[in-house]
This record gives sequence, structure tokens and C-alpha cells, in this order.
Amino acid sequence: MNINLKIWRQKDKKDKGRFKAYKLQNIDPNISFLEMLDILNNRLIKEKLEPVAFDHDCREGICGSCGFMINGQPHGPQKATTVCQLHMRSFNDEDEILLEPFRANSFKVVKDLSVDRTAFDRIISSGGFVSVDTGKAEEANSTVIEKSNADEAFLSAACIGCGACVAACKNSSAMLFTAAKVSQFTLLPQGEPEQKERVQSMVATMDEEGFGACTNTGACSAECPKEISQENIARLNREFIKSQL
Amino acid sequence: MSIFRILTSSIGKKVLMAITGLLLSFFMVFHLFGNLFLFVSEQAFNSYVEKLNYFKPLVRVAEFFLLLFVFSHAYTGISLWWSNRKAKQKSGSYSKTNTSQAARTASITGSFVFIFLITHWATFWYKFNFEHPESYYQVVLGNEVGFGNPFFSVFYIVAIALLGYHLKHGFLSAGQTLGIKGTKYEKIYVGVSSLFWLWIPLGFISIPLWFGFIKQVVSP
Repeated sequence: MNINLKIWRQKDKKDKGRFKAYKLQNIDPNISFLEMLDILNNRLIKEKLEPVAFDHDCREGICGSCGFMINGQPHGPQKATTVCQLHMRSFNDEDEILLEPFRANSFKVVKDLSVDRTAFDRIISSGGFVSVDTGKAEEANSTVIEKSNADEAFLSAACIGCGACVAACKNSSAMLFTAAKVSQFTLLPQGEPEQKERVQSMVATMDEEGFGACTNTGACSAECPKEISQENIARLNREFIKSQL
Repeated sequence: MSIFRILTSSIGKKVLMAITGLLLSFFMVFHLFGNLFLFVSEQAFNSYVEKLNYFKPLVRVAEFFLLLFVFSHAYTGISLWWSNRKAKQKSGSYSKTNTSQAARTASITGSFVFIFLITHWATFWYKFNFEHPESYYQVVLGNEVGFGNPFFSVFYIVAIALLGYHLKHGFLSAGQTLGIKGTKYEKIYVGVSSLFWLWIPLGFISIPLWFGFIKQVVSP
């Protein structure tokens, strides 16, 4: 298949950036999207041009490194799929594909499609952990946890922190990410002792980092590659209100 | 955490917005109850308004709080809109898939409802409170500022329809902000929400529709 790419090229944080067009021919529809970019980059290197920068690591959809906008959608058109798990067969021959970085003032562009998502790390380090003694593996296995809570906590913990929620949101809100990270602890007994400080601190850091507020449009969950539900945001709100009472 | 920090946090502002929005929505029930006396008779409507005049001090206190809720709701709305604007980069394409139009346009519909409220106070509310008309019924259905004037009727219908659309997002959004989603109360809340975004606005719209276009009772 032949494809027409329009890719956002930006040298560094200071550069204004612009779209540049690239044409790729005879692309195997069964290769992954990132492999297609690898082919483009090999060609650019051979031509002694600057390759397109994009984040990636595991390429198995579990690390959260990859992610950019494909035709206005974070991670592209396939539901519940990270860009590394997306294949070229999701597109048609001669399609024009627009690639841009995740856009948010809290996610500054490092280069091309790569953005600085360390704001998420700072939200996590402000409270997304358990510092009380939770014992050894035996204690974890012998702690009685309601099945529904264990399942819910697992679903929340599935968040890979890729930032698609922020990119999808018209307000660049990090509520879904923060909510998932608060939820995974809230639902388990080990998270209980530090719950109040955790939710207050993580919400305060989220605000300080300049993310917008949630207006409940639901775009984040709709575009989340791990399908993190809106119920997490309701739980975060509940826990935040409870922590103030 | 101090009350100031709560109210300046993003969730705190949203909670304030949700509570004031819900209180204003509940007020609509009382308002519509009064308005429906227009369908009974001129005398019934006038005597209802006279009864409210009897409780004037109480009504004034209620009005003060309603005004406070309106401005708190608008202030938090503008404040959140401003911080969200700062958070977003101007360039770039954003995802609109799977989100409702009502949610994306809530600030626009809310602004229009605020303009409507100002005209509502400047016309009906002002005339009822400061001009002491002989018949309140004639003011509402007359052609000066009332539904005898097709311009006012159409403006009123459009404004209430937009209010309903605003509440279609707002009421459910308030439930999400107050953490009702995912609890056992969610189903009841969603059921009740249609009363506020659909049936009550339809009740308000029925008045200009009936008296403005179907059965004009006040001759020009």
C-alpha cells in the first residue's frame, strides 16, 4: 500500500514546528504503525536527513511510552489500542495520515512527536505509592479483599500513563490518569492508611502542573488505550470530598 | 486543607459548580409550579403572586441566595474555562469522538442562559416587584414584555431549550463531580436527571407556546 504522511516536525522546545509531507510506497499492510515509521526513518537516515523522533519502548502495548495523535485521535483510529499495536491494515491505500504530538501545555514537545510527560511522574511521586509496611507476599495473599474491589483495582491499575487522556481532552485535563492512580490504592486495604494525604497531594500536584479541570465530556475514556472508565474520576471526586470532611 | 485551598483546587471549584447548579435546578421546580397557575385562570395566577408578596422578606432572602448561586456558578464556570484555556495548546487537533455536543458547548449555552436571566430580571421580575401592576397575568401574557409579543416568546423558547441542553450535560456532570457515578444511586440519579433537562424545560416552554402562538388571551 502507498501512504501519504504529514508529520509534525519540531527541532526542540523553542522551535515553532511545522507539518512536513512524506510519501511511502509499497508498505506491507501487516506491519505495525511504528515499523512503518522505522522504514521512513531508515530512508531519512540514508538520505542524510533528520529522522522523525517518537517515543517507544516495549512495542507490546504495556509500557506507555508510545503515543501521538493520528488524524486527530490519540493512538489512532483503533479502539483500546496503543499506537505500537496498531497495524497499517487499519488504513487504506493512498490514505493521508496526519501525525502530531500530544498537545497540552503541561506536555512540552521535546522533538517532533516526542513530548515531555514528566508531569505525570511528579503526580505519582507526590502520593501514588504505599509507604506503610504491607508485609511479605504471604501477607498479601492472606489479606481478604472483596472480589469486585480487587477487579476494579486491577482495571484502574491497567493505566499505562501514556497521556492519551490529556491529549484527547479539550481541557488538557489529567483527571483520568490521576483518578486511576488514586483508585488502584483506594480500592485495596493497603492503600487505606495514606488515602487522605494521597488524594489531596496528587490533586494539588495535578493542578500545579497546569493541567486543566475535567468538564466530564468523557473524551479521555473514549480514547484511552486501556479503556480506563469514567467511574475512576467519580471515585477521585468522592475521595477528594471525603478527605476534606 | 483550608476552605480557600479547597475552593481554588480544580475539584473544589467543580464541586461548588455542581452544588450551585443543582440548587438552581431545584428552584426551577418551584418556579414552574407558580407558572402553571397561568393555565388555571387569571385570578388564580394573580392570587398566587399576591401570596408570594405576603412572604416578601422570605422571598427576598431566597432571591439573595439564588443570585449568590447564579454568580458562584458563573464565576466558577468562567474560572475553570480560563484555567482550561491556559492548559490547552492553541494549535493541534483534538478528539471529538464519543463526546456529546452538550458537554462541549456547556460554557456557550451557559453564557446564553445568563443573558436570558438578565433580560428575565429586567422585564418580568422588575415589573412584578417595582411597577405593582393591576394584573400580573396581563404582564406575563401581554405584548409589552410578555408572550403576546412573538419576539419575546421565541427568545424565551430558545433560551429555555438551551437551558435544557445545558442541564442535559450539567445535571449528569454534577452527579459525576459529586461522585455518584458507579454507586448504587447512579440509576436513580440518571432517571431523575431527565425531569430537569427535559420535562421541566418543556413545562416552561409550554406557556409561551400556548399563550403566544396557540391561544392568545391578551388583546394588543
